[in-house]
Amino acid sequence: MMSTIENHDREYIMIWVWLVLLLGAGMMVFTLPIARMPALALIFGIAAVKATLVLRDYMHLRSERMLVYAIAFVPVILALGLALVLIPDIVYRH
Amino acid sequence: MSVGIETASHKAYTEGETTGIPMGKIGIWWFLASEVMVFGGLIGAYVLFRIANGGWADQAEHVNWRLGAINTLVLVTSSLTMILALSAGRSGRHQRAANFLLATVLLGLTFLGIKGVEYSREIAEGFTPASGMFWSFYFLMTGLHGIHVIGGIVFNATLYIAAVRGTLWSEHHEDRLEFAGLYWHFVDVVWIFLFPLLYLA
Repeated sequence: MMSTIENHDREYIMIWVWLVLLLGAGMMVFTLPIARMPALALIFGIAAVKATLVLRDYMHLRSERMLVYAIAFVPVILALGLALVLIPDIVYRH
Repeated sequence: MSVGIETASHKAYTEGETTGIPMGKIGIWWFLASEVMVFGGLIGAYVLFRIANGGWADQAEHVNWRLGAINTLVLVTSSLTMILALSAGRSGRHQRAANFLLATVLLGLTFLGIKGVEYSREIAEGFTPASGMFWSFYFLMTGLHGIHVIGGIVFNATLYIAAVRGTLWSEHHEDRLEFAGLYWHFVDVVWIFLFPLLYLA
């Protein structure tokens, strides 16, 4: 029992190490010889990976039932959709 | 993934009859879903305004990304201490759980302290919510997030007091630690996106 708990704790610490490494990687992106748009895509890609690690391992989404997924991700889709449908307005006006 | 033993009476008390998921957990996820719409709408509006107004690069360059990065590290570390508190609580290591809860509260206060230093520097340099669209969004989004951090600190501090007194570890109260953790990690996830949006982009 205790070794299982210690394994879980070790896993949580490893996730934290990854989060710190990804934080460092995100800040290093603008030192790379790449254009601004790919750099931004990389930065937000790294942020998405960090958020996924927290959601999956610290919020235990990987062991949750479908109902929790539905509650969690429907508003994400709605919020993304809300922003995406307004993009044509931005494109045509500016 | 969860560590610990759940008794039959505990399950009967906390689980919904049809979902098999504790009522409190469904409740906190519904709450977080509404929070996704609040922050999602705000972030969406910020991104669209920024695209429409040429990027605000001249205004955005004045934020202190080093302090923002330190605060990200502080909040990510507080997520670790929070999950270690839950792990310790579920395995009966109550003193260890209380210590990690206290660490989470202190890290939350550290985050607010650093944010306060940032605000005071920015305001001293003449950047206020009225200084332009970028600064309006910056103060609104970080301020709203800060209010959520304060809420989390109050929640966690309440649990810490209950843990020290021993009342947190009764059969029906232990789940509160998990619910507080879900909220705290959500606050962390929001900051994970706010940091690149406001400090790096």
